[in-house]
Amino acid sequence: MKRMMSPRRLTALAGVLGVAFLAGCAKNAPQDTWQPKGPNAEKIDNLNWLVFPIAGVVGVIMLALFAVVMVKFRDRGQPIPKQTHGKPALEVTLTIIPALILSVVGVFTVRGIFDLAEDKDTEMIINVTGQQWWWEYDYPIQEEYGVAQPIITSGQMVIPAGTKVLLRETSRDVIHSFWVPALNGKKDAVPGRIHLLRMEADEPGIYAGQCAEFCGLSHANMRMEVVALSKEDFAAWVKNQLADYNAPAKDTLAKQGEEVFLNQCVRCHQVNGLKRADGTPAIAAPEDNVYAGAAPNLTKFMARNTFAGAMFDLVNKKCREDVWGASSSEFGTKYLAGVTEDCLNTTDLRAWLRNAPVMKPMYANPEKLEPTDGKYRGMPNLNLTEDDIDKLVAYLLTLR
Amino acid sequence: MAIIERPEATPAVPGAPSVPATVTPSSSLGALKRPVTTTGWKSWLFTVDHKKIGIIYGVMGMFFLVVGGVEALLIRLQLASAEGKVLNASVYNQMFTMHGTTMVFLFAMPTANAFANYFLPLQLGARDVAFPRMNALAVWLTLTGGIILNLAWFLGGAADGGWFMYAPNSGPIFSPSNGVDFWVIGLQIAGIGSLIGSINLIVTVLNMRAPGLSLMKMPVFSWMMLVVQFLLVFSLPVITVALALLMFQRSFGATFFDVAQGADPLLWQHLFWIFGHPEVYILVLPAFGIVSEILPTFSRKPLFGYPFVVFSGAAIGLVGFGVWAHHMFASGLGPVSVAVFSVATMAIAIPTGVKIFNWTLTMWGGKIWFAAPMKFAIGLVVLFTFGGLSGVTHSVAPSDTQQTDTYYIVAHFHYVLFGGMVFGLFAGFYYWWPKIFGKRLNERLGSWNFWLMFIGMNMTFGPMHILGLQGQPRRMYQWTENRAGEGFFDLGFWNMIASVGSFVLAIGVLVFFINVLWTSKKEPKAPLDPWDARTLEWITASPPKEHNFDRIPTVTHLDEFFHRKYQEDHATETMTPIKTAEEILAEEEANGESHIHLPSPSYWPFVLATGVGILGLGVIYGVPTMIIGASVVLVAIFGWVLEPSVAEDFDYEGTSHDDGPSKELTTHG
Amino acid sequence: MFTGASKYFLGLTAGAVVSFVLYLLFVTPNDLGAIALGTVVLVAGTLAGVTLFNRDAEADTIEDATGAASQPLSNSVWPLVCALGVALMVVGLASVAMVFLIGLGVLALGAIEWLVQDWAEGASADNKFNAFIRERALNPLELPIFAAIGAGVIAFSFSRIMLAMDKSAGAILFIIIASAVLLVGFLNAFKPNFRGKIVAVLAAVAGVALIAGGVATALSGERSQLAEASAEDHFAHKECGEEKSKYFDKLANNRVPLRSGVTATVILEDGKLRAEMIGFPEPTRYVTIPKANDVSILFRNKDAEDRRLKLTLGTEVVAETGVEEKLYTCTQMTGEDQENVLVVNIKKQSSVAGPYELVVPGIDDAIEVVVP
Repeated sequence: MKRMMSPRRLTALAGVLGVAFLAGCAKNAPQDTWQPKGPNAEKIDNLNWLVFPIAGVVGVIMLALFAVVMVKFRDRGQPIPKQTHGKPALEVTLTIIPALILSVVGVFTVRGIFDLAEDKDTEMIINVTGQQWWWEYDYPIQEEYGVAQPIITSGQMVIPAGTKVLLRETSRDVIHSFWVPALNGKKDAVPGRIHLLRMEADEPGIYAGQCAEFCGLSHANMRMEVVALSKEDFAAWVKNQLADYNAPAKDTLAKQGEEVFLNQCVRCHQVNGLKRADGTPAIAAPEDNVYAGAAPNLTKFMARNTFAGAMFDLVNKKCREDVWGASSSEFGTKYLAGVTEDCLNTTDLRAWLRNAPVMKPMYANPEKLEPTDGKYRGMPNLNLTEDDIDKLVAYLLTLR
Repeated sequence: MAIIERPEATPAVPGAPSVPATVTPSSSLGALKRPVTTTGWKSWLFTVDHKKIGIIYGVMGMFFLVVGGVEALLIRLQLASAEGKVLNASVYNQMFTMHGTTMVFLFAMPTANAFANYFLPLQLGARDVAFPRMNALAVWLTLTGGIILNLAWFLGGAADGGWFMYAPNSGPIFSPSNGVDFWVIGLQIAGIGSLIGSINLIVTVLNMRAPGLSLMKMPVFSWMMLVVQFLLVFSLPVITVALALLMFQRSFGATFFDVAQGADPLLWQHLFWIFGHPEVYILVLPAFGIVSEILPTFSRKPLFGYPFVVFSGAAIGLVGFGVWAHHMFASGLGPVSVAVFSVATMAIAIPTGVKIFNWTLTMWGGKIWFAAPMKFAIGLVVLFTFGGLSGVTHSVAPSDTQQTDTYYIVAHFHYVLFGGMVFGLFAGFYYWWPKIFGKRLNERLGSWNFWLMFIGMNMTFGPMHILGLQGQPRRMYQWTENRAGEGFFDLGFWNMIASVGSFVLAIGVLVFFINVLWTSKKEPKAPLDPWDARTLEWITASPPKEHNFDRIPTVTHLDEFFHRKYQEDHATETMTPIKTAEEILAEEEANGESHIHLPSPSYWPFVLATGVGILGLGVIYGVPTMIIGASVVLVAIFGWVLEPSVAEDFDYEGTSHDDGPSKELTTHG
Repeated sequence: MFTGASKYFLGLTAGAVVSFVLYLLFVTPNDLGAIALGTVVLVAGTLAGVTLFNRDAEADTIEDATGAASQPLSNSVWPLVCALGVALMVVGLASVAMVFLIGLGVLALGAIEWLVQDWAEGASADNKFNAFIRERALNPLELPIFAAIGAGVIAFSFSRIMLAMDKSAGAILFIIIASAVLLVGFLNAFKPNFRGKIVAVLAAVAGVALIAGGVATALSGERSQLAEASAEDHFAHKECGEEKSKYFDKLANNRVPLRSGVTATVILEDGKLRAEMIGFPEPTRYVTIPKANDVSILFRNKDAEDRRLKLTLGTEVVAETGVEEKLYTCTQMTGEDQENVLVVNIKKQSSVAGPYELVVPGIDDAIEVVVP
């Protein structure tokens, strides 16, 4: 046992394990912090490549030192050794060397901090509002990008690639944190405050992220993606978002779905251009039903491909691989195609409509709403019949 | 003089002038006598003896280690596979909150206090701490706090806002159950206990050292504990304030963290982390102290660079107050603040590095004996180095904005806290067990204990570095396949390894308890000085007599005990043994003092702690309970003040010999 | 430590407490049973306390007994206090609950003092020692409580008087009283043989006058302006016009410490408005706010005249009258180079319930507030 555990062998074992460790990384982890896809993440990556190797080398040196010490000075029957009390010169040296190394790291770090905080060259602005447990994005009027009126979406934030986008983050309830590792570090979204975060993607593509500050029950289920499109594709996306509402044709399942939507969903969810039977615009009133006062805007819902705080896919597995795995040049077209009927992930969407709180834990039990004055934090179970769900799914498919 | 000593009564004779009464001590009035039992459960409940109190802290700490450990195992079971179904979201959130809170406040701090209480007086050559009754109060308050914290599990759900309990999520709207209230009250009470204990120990160290024991001859463990107590004194009030603000917000309608009323949620974060960062040094410095005793003993050389180790400990404590916002790099502080704290965090790596170098150089040129305490001590040095290095990577603030709130941070702090602090505490157990209980813990089981814990720890927390850097955030009750990457080594694989590792770790800890049982039944009595140790606490019986030292030793050297055993020949650089430990102890016994006055046990610390607990529960359950609690507190305070200063017949009479000088220990506690 | 009888009563109290708590938890409705068990708790607890104090009224030695018994009993005011407490309780039962509670407090106080005096007198044959232990035991409670009660009564009476009097009359009265106190203190300091009794009498008279005045004015109520202000809620009205409002603009708070929570700064300069929104590189002519979000808008006035910033929030139809009323909010009047903040939470989109505009009354310019 003692020989087997000899320090020399142990060091070798540790070394082998260490190397295996480093090789043992997941491929294509969507939130990998070491695969930058935008200039801000690259700046961070550069700092990583400065400090991690230094730490690694120091670690290896220290490990070797420990191994040597344990082997060389183990008790082999030698007499009690010389009782040295210290060598100040050596200790001072060993204090100064790390200080010097860290000073160098410090200089680069401070420069990086101020670099990443730069926002004077912003090209586009998006307001991001976190809420339990989804993200809302609203695009203020920016004529140069075709945004003639404010656009509100949620879950997937669409930006033009190669553009310096600045997010103005805030929250409606508790502290959340916006984090898309491929594009930048995270920044907390704090209620009552506005925090700025730069977002820029080099190439078109879809970049995954998650809320990164514990925000309650479904923190694990609060996700988002940033979708970067080429400038032309982005203009097309904007045009689509601002396009008129397509009312479904009379006597179709979708038309009946529209009625169900007007009865049930419009209480919280807004669809721009939707009109009631008497011709008045159907305005959602989430401030009456939801504690934080808002619910996801479902205009052009099928132009996104995730829902429920980007927790579930709107597209089925096949189409998902198609869109998510597309190359930069093809991605835009595939994304803009939206979710068609044969790509729809009917299972998840129906399950959500059937009983949302079971899919994603929320504070939506009507009997337990006293602390929030009777208002929900999340979507309740609407007790819809399967029939209603059929109609709704047909209707939602028209929102493209 | 307490007031209840009755003066001698001489019946008054009518007409004669009244004779002024003389006062004889210990003849008490009314109900207020002090308890005198020395065995049985009463002797533990009413004890003020620092050694018994240390054991109570230790038992409490190990119990909560198991509780927190079970919570951790449940977490790992839930995260072993994608979309686990072991715990639902609500229970999981309670689980990780309580795991963190229990481990930090109910396991780590009490166990460190166990060693501090038991060994600080012994290492200083004192007979007890400065304020024995306060010492007892501290331990019972800590236990009360721990009970209240965990009562929540049975009374509507535990706290579920994370151990850091950020506002506004901790407010009454977003955390409607009583769990957070229990958390606030339990922590507040435990915090009062820690604060009392810290003042006690500072006064002990500064005032009660043996003659000749200057500060720079104190063992490093005593030094580190002194620094820790100062850290406690300055950081606990901050969290007291934070908890009070939160309590008023939740229970009495205040709006300190209510954004609609103009509050800034970052207030909580600042208050919490101004406490929270020094807290982590409070956790780890005791372990540093312990290994600074063990490494020299088992290398047969003194600690390399004693002054540097002491000053770096103090520096860590001091600079530790200047780095708190490195927990807030992503919180929207602004680049100037972030830059300042980033640089300060790098600065604090330097004194920590100094310690690691000094420990390694202590072993260099030594005669290393790999007994169980030494294994754990070396384990600490190795694992803490890794944890410290990942900490340095966090100090680069832009990198930290990718790392914070991911499993990379979880990996870092578990390496420094588990690999650092817990290994240090276990090293302390193995090292000092023969002194406390008279037997050495079984060496073979100790080896299994160490290796299982070492392997388990690396298996559990090593993969978390990868998990974090590849994008798995913390505090999530489930992870999903579509964020887990592809390939054999995807995030699912590493989650599974971590979960398996946690069970290996649990088995390792279990082996420790098996060892304790085995040792109590099967191990023979240990010799007086099993490790050829260096410091004063070994010049006592095993276990020490109630009064610790028959004669308070006079100290002339650092590592006094070692210098009494060995004579150093500077010319030939050899150490010649001149006395054995048994001889030294016999000599002390022979010259023991005749009349040793010890502090008497007392009921009131226990009663007062209970009253404080009831008062705390009253914040949750209404004013009538608060009134009851306040009455108990009032009665206990009066009882404490009015009880006789000594119990009758409690003093220790030394072994018979000629009248030596009588040394009274004045206690005012 | 515990004598036989006290052990019995303590056990009875403990049992009664447990039963009481269990009864409250598990039996509903809990009424007579709760009262009965609660009474048992109180009675047993009292008896336990009494027997503890008296050690079962058994003396340890004959000397102690005879020594204690040989002392003549001293005067005691506590039976009187207890009687007063009982009387107040009875009166309170028939009238106001507060009086009942005060009576309960007085009774408790008297009872404790009485018990302790009794215990102290039985302690030994030495009067001075007895007095010493009584003081030692009770001063830590007596001094703070009596001081707090005294200070509370004085402060309360004084405040009631000040609230009832006219403002100028109140100022004069205050000056008179303060001068009187100063005079007495002065005399006391410079004439050491100033008869202590005279000071005591003067203080007693003043105290009685103060308390009587306090009670009288408390019963008669606050002066009319205050009553009117609270009824009409003067300071909550926001009069958002161009002129200075009498109440709303009093003591305008013109320094704003917060900076990080501000979503936009609206600046009035040379009669024109512009908005600087955090993150936007150029000043804008509009401010965009997410709906249902608490935001702060900072108003900075760079012009010479005092101005305020007003946010119009559309209109609302009042249910009862059917009148369409304008909604708005505003800051207080802001002077030159000063700032004020507007905290808003707009629940509905501007396309539906708008338009929302930031205007400065008196200036012909507006900044649109867009709530998408």
